[in-house]
Amino acid sequence: MRPFIFERATSPESAIAAFHADRATSFLAGGTTLLDLMKLDVVRPERVIDINALGANEIEISEDRLRLGASVRMADAEAQEELRRRVPMLTQSLALAASTQLRHMATLAGNVLQRTRCPYFRDVSWSACNKRLPGSGCAAMAGFNRQHAVLGASDACIATYPSDFAQALIALDATVDVVGRRGRRQLPFAKLHVPPGRTPEVETTLAPDELILGFEMPIEPWMSRSLYLKIRDRDSYEFALASAAVALEVDGGAVRQARIALGGVAAVPWRAREAEQALIGRVLDEASCQLAADIAFAKAQPREHNAYKPLLGRQTVARALLQAAAMEA
Amino acid sequence: MSAIHVTTKINGDVVDYVCEADETLLDVLRNRLGLTGAKEGCSTGDCGACSVTIDGRLTCSCLVLGAEADGREIGTIEGMAKGDELHPLQRKFLEHAALQCGICTPGILVAAKSLLEHNPKPTETEVRFGLAGNLCRCTGYDKIVRAVMDAAQEMRRA
Amino acid sequence: MAIIGPVQQKNMGPPHSRIDGRAKVTGAAPYASDFAVGRPAYAYFVTSSIARGRITGFDMAAAGQVPGLLDILTYETMRGAVKKPTFFAGGGYAGTTIRPLDGPEIFHDGQIVAVVLADSYESAREAAYKVKVTCQAEQPAATFGSAGATTEDAADAKGHEDPAVGDIAAGLAAASATVDADYATPTQHHNPIELFTTTCAWTGDKLTVYEPSQIVHGLKHGVAEQLGIPPDHVRIVSPFVGGAFGSKASVTPRTALAAIAARCLGRPVKLVLTREQGFSVATYRAETRHHLRLGADADGKFTALSHEAWEVTSRPDSYLVAGTDTTARLYACPNVFTKVHLVHVDRNTPGFMRSPPEVPYLFPLECAIDEVAEKLGLDPIELRRRNDTMKEPIGGLPYTSRSLMECFDQAAESFGWARRSAAPASMRDGDWLIGWGCASTCYPTALAPATARVILWKDGRVKVETAAHDLGTGAYTALAQVAAERLGVPVGQVTIALGDSDLPPSPVAGGSITTASVSSVIAKACDAIRAKLGVNDSALIDPGIRVAGFERLGVALVQEYAEFAPHGAKPEGIDKLYAGLSTLKGGAMLEDRIQYAFGAEFVEVRIHARTREIRVPRVHGAFAAGRIVNPKTAHSQLMGGLIWGVSSALHEATEMDLGTARYINDNFADYLVPVNADIEDVSVILVPERDTQVNPLGIKGLGELGNVGTNAAVANAVYHATGRRIRELPIRLEKLLA
Repeated sequence: MRPFIFERATSPESAIAAFHADRATSFLAGGTTLLDLMKLDVVRPERVIDINALGANEIEISEDRLRLGASVRMADAEAQEELRRRVPMLTQSLALAASTQLRHMATLAGNVLQRTRCPYFRDVSWSACNKRLPGSGCAAMAGFNRQHAVLGASDACIATYPSDFAQALIALDATVDVVGRRGRRQLPFAKLHVPPGRTPEVETTLAPDELILGFEMPIEPWMSRSLYLKIRDRDSYEFALASAAVALEVDGGAVRQARIALGGVAAVPWRAREAEQALIGRVLDEASCQLAADIAFAKAQPREHNAYKPLLGRQTVARALLQAAAMEA
Repeated sequence: MSAIHVTTKINGDVVDYVCEADETLLDVLRNRLGLTGAKEGCSTGDCGACSVTIDGRLTCSCLVLGAEADGREIGTIEGMAKGDELHPLQRKFLEHAALQCGICTPGILVAAKSLLEHNPKPTETEVRFGLAGNLCRCTGYDKIVRAVMDAAQEMRRA
Repeated sequence: MAIIGPVQQKNMGPPHSRIDGRAKVTGAAPYASDFAVGRPAYAYFVTSSIARGRITGFDMAAAGQVPGLLDILTYETMRGAVKKPTFFAGGGYAGTTIRPLDGPEIFHDGQIVAVVLADSYESAREAAYKVKVTCQAEQPAATFGSAGATTEDAADAKGHEDPAVGDIAAGLAAASATVDADYATPTQHHNPIELFTTTCAWTGDKLTVYEPSQIVHGLKHGVAEQLGIPPDHVRIVSPFVGGAFGSKASVTPRTALAAIAARCLGRPVKLVLTREQGFSVATYRAETRHHLRLGADADGKFTALSHEAWEVTSRPDSYLVAGTDTTARLYACPNVFTKVHLVHVDRNTPGFMRSPPEVPYLFPLECAIDEVAEKLGLDPIELRRRNDTMKEPIGGLPYTSRSLMECFDQAAESFGWARRSAAPASMRDGDWLIGWGCASTCYPTALAPATARVILWKDGRVKVETAAHDLGTGAYTALAQVAAERLGVPVGQVTIALGDSDLPPSPVAGGSITTASVSSVIAKACDAIRAKLGVNDSALIDPGIRVAGFERLGVALVQEYAEFAPHGAKPEGIDKLYAGLSTLKGGAMLEDRIQYAFGAEFVEVRIHARTREIRVPRVHGAFAAGRIVNPKTAHSQLMGGLIWGVSSALHEATEMDLGTARYINDNFADYLVPVNADIEDVSVILVPERDTQVNPLGIKGLGELGNVGTNAAVANAVYHATGRRIRELPIRLEKLLA
């Protein structure tokens, strides 16, 4: 790690007040991304503000809304019985992530802001990484890219966005509560992350001084028919090769509403809206699910070692939809 | 860099130490406090060998700053046995041969203890997935699960 | 959950819990980096980010500003400081002859190019990040087929002979079923959970090294060689080793560098490599390619076996495993041809990794047998039965014992093999395709010269001293059991000192030789004590006899030092042992016989019909390895081996960026090994076996027996589930998708 000044904040206001525009400042919560990347010399803050005592720990579940504080630990959200029942996709996306240790440490906000696992990004001895060193190139393009993104990537960066929970948030039309020097604002979760384009170093629309305070989303009864399917080499403790968060509203055998989000295959949290549209009014069967899966990956751009991902992704989506279709609503 | 003064409780005892901002809790435990039971296997949160509890939460101490521990309670493997009397998990690990080289063992025991505190009657599957964050390379996975299940049963009876 | 636990059967000792277990479960067991040394300085390596070329300069300006920095060592100041190491394959100590900090040449990615020393670990790391190294890079060769890779005939490299017999062309022509296929195994790294650590402390001109080691006397001599100091000025302390698997069996360049740093600074130096650095500072399992042809006649008798292989090694070192020594001799076959090539590329030097030759070489053979069986319409177990033999085919030498088919029978029974539907893709459970596969496993039974000192007190306390190693294998316990049994005392009265080069030398904890070799010498020392006490060879020794013996002798303790040399060992074996060199004898290396341990391994895979992820709910193995000293720790070793095997078949591969010859997944998030959730029923059956020849106690090593057959058993199960032969490891879902 590079030397840094350690401070503690006990409220969002004090955290923001401690923020210095002229010095690289990082907010430290669970630490599972930040300290990891600081040790690897990828991230080099000069000030670290410990926000573990800041609050934002609320879990509020009402008839039709859910609010999750930014500092809620993944394990605590995952353990909510009512949530498990009403929005299984959400708790499953948490339970299937990382390890018990990391889920007890990591906060929900930290989870959605975690950085890519691209090995060329995480190892500073690689000189070509546009995300880490803008303009330096992308070693992953011609390198070992089995884990890399086939959707939403660009010629500058093919790093995969790693979070599972974010796929549930984007599928559920969540909004994000943010506070910064200019006050509070709310934005759709789908607007939090930005695709790499020509500036892969810019990952979110948050200003450097902004903190996430929480996530809110509507809960509807049909969301009990939802799930998170994560495909990976081992059965636990691995990032997704492909994953699908799906929720289905079915009426008289036909789909009234579908939500599909994809993990492990895209550069940002990824909502497959065209695939969702294709299901509306259809009966869920092998053909319709496969069709939706095909649409979801119609624009996929595979490379040498991730050439399998479009097919794996389609199979994952089809399987998730068929599994959700078979659920008791 | 300025040294940071930390007051914490480790295995029930109040402990004061001074550390630099960039020292991890693992390094503080091992290098400053002589508590070498927590092991470093990766330093990136991937292996679980450094597991401790902080305020009852299972944590990789390699991804926590020593400075963060101020005012909190830390549990390490050194606090697991009560004097000469081993914790039931420790006894069952010996009985079931749930350890080999032993380098992952302290972390697994701390994780297993935390697991049983949260879930005194786990299913086998819950144990397998609950301990997935603790790599054992030797590897004694099945025996570890049996030892935890057996200890859980004994602890419920007690 | 495993259904078969370790129970004492014929020719087995009592199952005993680890005597070192209490120290391990309380966190009290001291591993090398746990030793406190006074006010240590910390070392952190700067490593190369190119695989081939030359260093053209260093910029230390930023690093020099880091508070607490003590020194930075580079080749510019260190040239010649480390003497040329002798390569272990040439009868020396070092795992590589590449000498970092001896010149500007870069031989591989991750080569040490500077040693940063500071008052704290954090300062050393920060300064290391700030060291700027400029290089002139050349295009490296990463692997087989890379431009610039050079191939040599292994027979030229180190006196290796390619075993062969008969006429391979005639044998193939006579076959009614043949397999002719190419196979590939990947680079793998041992990845013990314990990092590669070294702490060096000088007292005057005497050096103490705390470093996890599988060969403390070898490390002592190897470090002395590299420092140019007398070996008796070096002491290695390594009582507990946090996993090794071969990675701590040869001397790495790090030890001498830490020792020199400590001497320069005049204070102890502590070095803890990062997980990533371990990938290139230590060794690894070489990537291999195979072309295998196997033919059988209509009765299922093998007529021809041709096994040609290629192994990756570094530019300067010819590290060779040549598992054809085993595959050529495993089954009866009149016509055998083998050939091994070494391919030199710009990588660090590979080395031993758990069952070094057998893991990559049995994979193609045991897969091919499955294919031939299918072509002949035979059950694969039956095909192996028809080619089982008590004489190896190359020299016609007899096996000292061989219980391969007994192992198959017991494992098949336990697994329920009879319920298997033979046709591929014919078993299914809902959305999951089910496949059952099996394979033979074997490992050479070798031994090496060993020494030990045993002390018996009148009150029945025993102390055993020998510089053997417990890597988690259970050596502390098994060796204590041997002494306890021989001297008629409870195991609890035996204390045992291992892992210290001040103790009488024992051989490397490699090649699965420790229990057999060191038990033999301990038994010999105990017998000498018994003789002094007037107990003849077969009599039981009880407290009364012991006390009477002591009173007759009029002493408080009896101490005996013994030396043991195994069958086939040359007289100078003990001298070599004292020089830190282990001379392994056994396996297929003997002139008059062949000695192996055998087993049979069965695997069930479940593969999702749609997304093709592969899970392994069941692994059953049956193993026969002569006398089992401690069924409890033996069971753990074999179970761990089976899980290693599943890991190898499905997960483990060190990926490379082929353009730059650099490792990509050098961490525990990306180098996958199974987690607890991946492993369900792993059943180990110990098959009783008596071997009166291998050594006086009849012990065969088994630490490397478990993980040999599993690659093929998994691949055969995957074929059975899907109808697809995957001949390239690891078997990942993308290979089954399209």
